Amino acid sequence: MGTPECITHEHEVLIIGAGGAGLRAAIEAASTGVNVGVVCKSLLGKAHTVMAEGGMAASMGNVDDRDNWRVHFSDTMRGGQYLNNWRMAQLHAQQAADRVRELESWGALFDRTRDGKILQRNFGGHKYPRLAHVGDRTGLEMIRTLQDHGIHQGIKFYMEYTVLELLTDGGRIAGAVGYDREKGRFHVWKAPAIVMATGGIGRAFKITSNSWEYTGDGHALAYRAGAELKDMEFVQFHPTGMVWPPSVRGILVTEGVRGEGGVLRNSEGRRFMFDDIPDLYKDQTATDPEEGWRYVTGDKNAMRPPELLTRDHVARCIVREIREGRGSPHGGVYLDIAWIKEKMGKAEAHIRKKLPSMYHQFKQLAGVDITKDAMEVGPTTHYAMGGVNVDGETQMSTVPGLFACGEVAAGLHGANRLGGNSLSDLVVFGKLAGEHAVKWAQAHPTPTLDQGQIQGVCRAALEPLERDTGESPYEIQSSLQEMMQAKVGIVRTESEMEQAVVSIAALKTKAANTSVPGNIEYNPGWHTAVDLPNLMVVSEAVARCGMDRKESRGAHFREDHPSKEPSHANHNTIVSRGGDGEMKVERRTIPKMPDDLAGIIKEMG
Amino acid sequence: MTTQASSAPVVKAAKTRTIRVRIKRCDGPAKAQRWETFKVPVGAGANVISVLQTIGANPVTVDGTPTTPVVWDSGCLEEVCGACTMVINGKTRQSCSCLMDVFCPNEGDEITLEPMSKFPIIRDLWVDRSRLFDSLKRVKAWVPIDGTYDLGAGPTEGPKQSELRYTLSTCMSCGCCLEACPQFNLETDEREWDTAFIGAHAISQARLFNDHGTGKQLKGDRLDALMGEGGVSDCGNAQNCVKVCPKEIPLTESIAAMGRATTFHAIARWFQSND
Repeated sequence: MGTPECITHEHEVLIIGAGGAGLRAAIEAASTGVNVGVVCKSLLGKAHTVMAEGGMAASMGNVDDRDNWRVHFSDTMRGGQYLNNWRMAQLHAQQAADRVRELESWGALFDRTRDGKILQRNFGGHKYPRLAHVGDRTGLEMIRTLQDHGIHQGIKFYMEYTVLELLTDGGRIAGAVGYDREKGRFHVWKAPAIVMATGGIGRAFKITSNSWEYTGDGHALAYRAGAELKDMEFVQFHPTGMVWPPSVRGILVTEGVRGEGGVLRNSEGRRFMFDDIPDLYKDQTATDPEEGWRYVTGDKNAMRPPELLTRDHVARCIVREIREGRGSPHGGVYLDIAWIKEKMGKAEAHIRKKLPSMYHQFKQLAGVDITKDAMEVGPTTHYAMGGVNVDGETQMSTVPGLFACGEVAAGLHGANRLGGNSLSDLVVFGKLAGEHAVKWAQAHPTPTLDQGQIQGVCRAALEPLERDTGESPYEIQSSLQEMMQAKVGIVRTESEMEQAVVSIAALKTKAANTSVPGNIEYNPGWHTAVDLPNLMVVSEAVARCGMDRKESRGAHFREDHPSKEPSHANHNTIVSRGGDGEMKVERRTIPKMPDDLAGIIKEMG
Repeated sequence: MTTQASSAPVVKAAKTRTIRVRIKRCDGPAKAQRWETFKVPVGAGANVISVLQTIGANPVTVDGTPTTPVVWDSGCLEEVCGACTMVINGKTRQSCSCLMDVFCPNEGDEITLEPMSKFPIIRDLWVDRSRLFDSLKRVKAWVPIDGTYDLGAGPTEGPKQSELRYTLSTCMSCGCCLEACPQFNLETDEREWDTAFIGAHAISQARLFNDHGTGKQLKGDRLDALMGEGGVSDCGNAQNCVKVCPKEIPLTESIAAMGRATTFHAIARWFQSND
């Protein structure tokens, strides 16, 4: 085999991923005048952020002036069951409002209050209406604004490229090696600072709301470069994904439907969410449907309906209804917004105005008119709370020069993320990661590239094309997805997760022996084959961390340990690559919260 | 609490049938295109994407010849990102929302898939749309602000005021309006991009930013760009763009509005130059 040729590029800061976090980091870095490159797997503006619907949480207090950063901080910590990095939760709550106003000044539109301020809507787990939004297409607006703002900053975009491996120089970041998906040419980016912003891991599961790009690349790249991953057991299953027809299974139905008054019913017509309200939220939840309706229509004295409890809880209630035989014909439950016509005039126009994308989505993709009929919905893999372990101040990982922000980073959301805290996460920590990556790059001399390491990565990547016989990457991918859905899904047990770890080991062996027909130019089979090792890393991390946490907390629910255990209340789960190449799991005690933050938690209850 | 649910969704019978799919294939840039036809079994709720996946799992044409899986681009699969745009039965649209129950409800029905013709082909149904971003740069579709000053509480804006921008901002840069436009042509030489007709997409985005409180600062620059060669006056008024826009953006109104604005801008400039 000859030596694969590489095209070399040089940047002071390299961003991997061009969703909300990556673009925000790139804009921040470019604004300081440094040379910035952005590598992304798809076309600019098509990243998964575009699919976000409900809005971005920021305590602007435009709708309810009792709101402020302290309440937002407290809500985020409660939602995360206090496993959050409290410093990140604090920075996020304090800076989110500025980031919203910044987007507004860059040309983003928002829905408005009657007096012309940015309108904020209710979402699960948020005490006050807090989500700045544009109908139900807030993600599109964010990505369009960031894309438009980014294209004139002199940022070099590498679209339709995949990164294969990070390069290190004496333990610190030196660059990355990857290929362009069109021609299959290898590229090397030399950079003293890299910001990882690759999003999540949803494609490790069969039913997911995530786009095809979400194969855990950033998690796995960082892990193999020596970085720690944290809290990987916490995978959020969004309670409402489409279940029918099969071609759209998993696609998200925004929580905004429930925020606007949509209710969940089983096949018997019962609003089953009233049947199971956790103690932690009893005093914040409506006692009857009437109070719930008053809440969604803005009555400040009313408590929220149980449909707006945290996502993990709603998802499990739906699973219970389906398992006990009270589901809809295609294995979901009913989500009904059409019923509000009993309560208001012009309900149809109201629904179309408030939820235009949902109206369009169901009409176009499923042939259902949501102003007339109930939707069929069921849980779908939505978000990874876990990710690269970063420093709360700087967003730097445990590998010097490697930063992470957005979904690929861990810390802000703890054991469970509140809706709306993701879009704000992207811009708050995208900015901070960009800022600190520049500082790092300017303070540290140019690293040296290891040609041997580069050649090794390229040769390994070419192997599937060179084998005449071997495993099909598509079959390995779909076996993994089926297995993860069944064994490490919404409801988990020790024995099933053990079986998962065994299956992953077998699949890893197969993944190391794939064979792909055809040549190196745009070859989807080859792309799937090189994504597999990443899916294996994140799947193994989820299963192993899930086994280690022998309790149920937040998004991690274990049938064999159905309650919270005080012995697990105060640690994060850390994963790293051991000297022998095997995955190591350890528990790490959460640092003590400073008195002022502890005081806020105490005060807010 | 016992209120009955609204009537359950109407479920169409899951009728499995075999359809014919004609696809215009191409092995790479500047290579010849060819047609291949496939017989594909589909069930209820299938869309073009699931049909292409079925073909990919067993790529054999209707006459039994083995071939390669078809290449196409996609992202969200819910008609939000625009990545999967292609020409279906002669009309440009997103393929994710193209339901077989509507397009091929019966045994033996045929559907044709082609790549957009106004962008350079990368492979099969996948095209290179980087010109879209170049057009946005050409009209300076951004707000000139560097974040160095305190933004304060932000401006207030009435719902009426934002209504127009609301519609314009739904653009997802999919390229449908350009594919349908008789004045917008394939241009593989990047040097020609700045003088060839820019198309409805960028004209409408220029209008969006000219209507923004701070974005107005660059209004003159945007109008200058649209007055030049390949600008708004090159529109032939075929009105195809507005018919194919999946987001129903009033593109012809935007072109007319920007046409008027460039005229006023030209007159104002003429007076200024004669001071």
